[in-house]
Amino acid sequence: MYKYLLCWRYLRTRYIALASIISVMLGVATMIVVNSVMAGFSTMMQERLHGTLSDIIIESFSLNGFDNPDEVMAAIQEAVGDRVDAMAPSLQLFGYAMIPVGGGEHLTREVQIIGVRPEDRAKVGDFAQYLIHQPRPGQDEPPKAEPTFHVPDEYRLNTYAGQVYQQTDPDDPFADILRQDMESLVPADGMILGYAIGTVHRPETGEDMFIAPQGSKVILHFPSAGRTPEAKTGEFTVVSYFKSGMSEYDSMQVYVPIDRIQFLRGQDGFVNQIQVKAKPGTDLDTLARDIRLAMEGKWPTRFLVSTWEQKQGPLLAAVQVEQNILNILLFFIIAVAGFGILGIFSMIVVEKTRDIGILKALGASDSGVRGIFLGYGLTLGMVGSLVGMTGGLLFVKYINEIEKGLSAITGRKVFDDSIYYFPEIPTLVEPLTVAWIVIGALVIAVAASVWPAQRASRMHPVKALRYE
Amino acid sequence: MVPHLSTIGLSKSYRKGREAVPVLDGVDLDIDQGDLLAIVGASGSGKSTLLHLIGLIDGADGGQIELNGERIDNLPNRRRDALRNRTFGFIFQFYHLLPELTALENVLIPLTIRYGPLEYLAKRRRFRAEAEAMLDRVGLSHRITHKPNELSGGEMQRVAIARALVGGPSVLLADEPTGNLDANTGREVLDLLRDLNRERALTMILVTHDLGIASKADRVVRLAEGRLEEWSPVLA
Repeated sequence: MYKYLLCWRYLRTRYIALASIISVMLGVATMIVVNSVMAGFSTMMQERLHGTLSDIIIESFSLNGFDNPDEVMAAIQEAVGDRVDAMAPSLQLFGYAMIPVGGGEHLTREVQIIGVRPEDRAKVGDFAQYLIHQPRPGQDEPPKAEPTFHVPDEYRLNTYAGQVYQQTDPDDPFADILRQDMESLVPADGMILGYAIGTVHRPETGEDMFIAPQGSKVILHFPSAGRTPEAKTGEFTVVSYFKSGMSEYDSMQVYVPIDRIQFLRGQDGFVNQIQVKAKPGTDLDTLARDIRLAMEGKWPTRFLVSTWEQKQGPLLAAVQVEQNILNILLFFIIAVAGFGILGIFSMIVVEKTRDIGILKALGASDSGVRGIFLGYGLTLGMVGSLVGMTGGLLFVKYINEIEKGLSAITGRKVFDDSIYYFPEIPTLVEPLTVAWIVIGALVIAVAASVWPAQRASRMHPVKALRYE
Repeated sequence: MVPHLSTIGLSKSYRKGREAVPVLDGVDLDIDQGDLLAIVGASGSGKSTLLHLIGLIDGADGGQIELNGERIDNLPNRRRDALRNRTFGFIFQFYHLLPELTALENVLIPLTIRYGPLEYLAKRRRFRAEAEAMLDRVGLSHRITHKPNELSGGEMQRVAIARALVGGPSVLLADEPTGNLDANTGREVLDLLRDLNRERALTMILVTHDLGIASKADRVVRLAEGRLEEWSPVLA
C-alpha cells in the first residue's frame, strides 16, 4: 500500500516531475496532430486519385488501342457484371496544347489528351464533381459545371464578329461570312481544360488569372493513328475546367469529345482505355484479377488490367514512406522526453535517499521500493500521455479554427488553400495510431524509470540512512 | 531459559581503502524478554553498527543473531523484511520521518508496508484508530495532521516512537533517541520509553553515549575495541 501512497504523494509534491509530464504530453500531442494531418492529406489525395482514375482501368498495350470497345465491355459485363456498376471507354494520348495569348502569340503546354463521353465518364468516377466554370465578376467561388462539351451560342455571340452579326440583317450577304468567322473563332467542339493549364496562380494576390478563359479557342496537336504517326491538329473551345486538387492531373489533363478525336486521328471507333466502376464493397484486387482472366481468355496479351491503387502504386508508396519516416523522427521527441524522465527521476531518487533507507529499515522490500519509482514513472507517463492525447485530439478537431486565428494574428495565411486546392486542412484521426502513440509513450516513460528505480531498490539501508 | 535475543561472536569491519578496519570483533550478548539494555561507548566505537546488525538492516561479517533461540541473520530477504516490519521497532537519532506525510501517515507507514492495498483499505479504519491511539499515548493527539517540518524535535521523536510501536514489535531498537534533543525533552522521551518498556514488556536496546541516560536502564554494557563488557554506573 505504501507504494501507492508515496507514489501519489510524490506526484503531488514534486513539481519538477511536471516537467517530465509536459515533455511526454507535448510529444504525444505532436505525434497525434502530425499523424492526423498527414493521414488526412494522404486520404484526400487518394480520394482524388481514385476519383480521377475510377476503380479499375483496362488499357491496351499500344497507343492505337482497339476498335471493339463495345465487345470488350460486353465481355466484362458477362464475366463480372454482378460486381460492375458502370464502364466508360476513353482514348488517351499525349500531345501539346497551344493557348492563344493575344498578338498572335501562343503559350504551348505539354498535355494528356483524353477523349471521353463526359456523361459516361461521370458515372465511373468523381469526374463530374471536379468540373467548374470560370467565376463571373463578383463571384468568389467558381460555380459547378455539368459534364458536357456543349458550346453555348453566347460564346460565339460574345466575340467581335458575333457583336457585329447580331446587328446584321440575316439576309445580308455578310451575315454568312460573319457566321463563318464566329465559328472559326469559337469552334463547335467543346473542351474541358485542366485548371492549372488554363490559369496562372499569382501568389502576391492569391488569385488565379485565367489565361484561357471560357469560350476561348485552344489548339491541340497530337499524333495520328498508324505505324508512322503524323502530327494532327484540332481546335476546341474551352467550356469548363477540371480541378481535382491533384496538380499532376490539373496541369496535364485535357478532356475532349471522343468521337471528334477519333475522327481527327483517322481511326473511328478506336479507344485505348476502359474505366470500370465497381459496385460498393467489392474487393478491387479480386475483381481486377477476374477481369484479367476473362480478357486473357478472349484476347490474350492485348490488355493490361490494373486497379487504381496499382496504377498509382509508386506515389502511394512514397506517401507511406514519408509518413513512416516522419513517425520515426517524431518518436525521437518522445524518446527525448524519456531521457528527461530519466534525469528527473535520478534526481528524485538521490533526494529521497534517506526516505528509501527509512522504508527499508521499516521492512520495505527491494521490489517494493522499485515499485514506488516504476509506478511513479508509469503514472507520469499516463498523466502526460492522456493530457497529450486530449490536447492533440482537440488541436486536430479545431485545427482550421486555430489556423484562422494564427492567420489573423500574423496577417499571413498559414495554410494557403490555393496551393493545395483544399479549402480546409484535411485531418483523419486513426484510433489505432493514437493507441500506439499512447502505448509507446507509456513504455518509454516506464523504461526511463527502470534505471533510477533499480538504483533505489539496491540502495543499502544503512548508507541511505546516513546520507545527508 | 532461552534469552529473547542474543548475538554470538558477531563481527563486522569496514573497508577503508585497502585496509579492513574492524568495528565489532566477536560480540556476545544475551537479552531477556522485557529487559531495557543500554549500550554505551565512545563515538565510532560501533554502537550503531551493532544495533543495525541486530535489527537486520546491515549484514555481519561473522557470527550469528538469534531470536528466541532461532538464528535470524541468515534468513532469506523476504523473512528478514518481515522481521524488520513486525518484530523490530526502530527509533533514530534524527527521527527519520517521511517529510511528505503527516504525523498520522508516518505512524501508519509500517502497516502500509505490511499489508497490500486491498487488505489495507479493508482494515484502514482499525489501523487509523490504532495509530491515533498510539499518537495519543505519546501525547500528540492534537498534532496528527501536521507534517514533520511543522513539529518540534521532541514531537518528531514522539511520532517516531509511535511509528516504531504501531506494528506491535517485541524488540525496540533506539539509536541515540535523545541525542538531538535538549535535556528536558530528552528526559521526557526517555521516561516515555521507560514507561512503554514496563507497560508492554518490550525488550529494548538503547544506544547512547550519555551515561545519565544509561543509568535509567536495567543493565548497561560498554562497547570498546569491538567487544562488549558489563558495565556498572556505580563503578564509573
